[in-house]
Amino acid sequence: MEWIEIEATTVDEAVAVALKELGLSSRTEATVEVIREGKSGFIGLGRQMAVVKVSKAPSQRSRRRRRGRGKGGSDGDSQSNGGRGGQSRSEKTSGDSSGSSGGGNRNKGGSRSRSENGNRRSEGGRTSEKRQRSSTQSDARTDDEGGERSSNKAVLAEQTEVAADFLRGLLEAFGLEGTVETRNEKDALYIDIEGDQTEALVGPKGTVLQAVHELTRTVVQRKTFGAPRIRLDIAGYAARRRKALQIYSSQLATKVIEDKEETMLEPMNAADRKVVHDAVGEIDGVRSFSEGQEPHRSVVIAPAE
Amino acid sequence: MSDGKIVESVVTYITKQIVDDAETVEVEVASDGPDAVVAEVRTAKSDMGRVIGRRGRVARAIRSVARAAGDEEGLSVQVEFLD
Repeated sequence: MEWIEIEATTVDEAVAVALKELGLSSRTEATVEVIREGKSGFIGLGRQMAVVKVSKAPSQRSRRRRRGRGKGGSDGDSQSNGGRGGQSRSEKTSGDSSGSSGGGNRNKGGSRSRSENGNRRSEGGRTSEKRQRSSTQSDARTDDEGGERSSNKAVLAEQTEVAADFLRGLLEAFGLEGTVETRNEKDALYIDIEGDQTEALVGPKGTVLQAVHELTRTVVQRKTFGAPRIRLDIAGYAARRRKALQIYSSQLATKVIEDKEETMLEPMNAADRKVVHDAVGEIDGVRSFSEGQEPHRSVVIAPAE
Repeated sequence: MSDGKIVESVVTYITKQIVDDAETVEVEVASDGPDAVVAEVRTAKSDMGRVIGRRGRVARAIRSVARAAGDEEGLSVQVEFLD
């Protein structure tokens, strides 16, 4: 999914900038996820920027609910500007970017857009706009409606290398012996860390593994301005766990069929939810879907209609 | 060996991978009682947001991995981020 993350003083401002960047003219065309509400603080002290993650909404599938709008935005104002920016699809032109930074500055104390070729951070480093995309091809983002995007092999190869380097360095910093193997499947990056000693990086209930995963994604994002879907396994932990989750899901599905009553599982991350969906999909007479908002999104297993 | 060397190398390594200004990164590991250390992480002001991450996710991940590093040395670890 093509998305960008924008930081600005208020949620509405961040959304406005994001819409412009994506070439969308209205918020209804976008899926907006509020990562963090901004706080105005006191003369800059304790101020927190609002962060939103915005992607082009799938035209057919149901739009995700949007929550938590910041107050006092200048939505309408920036939106007219967004429409203008939206016409120039090829966002690399400097004319467009200077236009957008002008737009940002109009908002009092608002977000400042960085110009495409300029510094990554604006002065003071407090206001920044990050652009994170999994692909630099502009045509890849125009047709992401079908779900499958055309992948950019070169970008994925670079991201794969960055991830593997980071993890090898991490093993070294720990003084652990282990191997890091990567493979690319479709747009996803699979990483297996193996070796007896690497068990140390799994941690209780896989918490350390999750942390390593998070850091890997962060590093890849910082260095390549985008991150693919990453599947990380350490010492076979994720594989064992996935197997257990599959079995558990199948058992639950059987029970749903017997009881004719839907069941909601505990909240899970997207990767785990997919395991459940796949396991349920194998069984006739039940269906599954997800409900709720991250990070509390849960799978529901229900009798087939 | 329980002097926090692994904690120090791990926290330093991760932090430097995440920030823009790796030169400015300083990690100091100090004893905090028997079998406990505090790792103080200093970065450029402008990199603080990177190290903390949205909703503190990156900071939490660093803490988690730092604790795993501490386990290797039999140390409990606290990580503090300063600029």
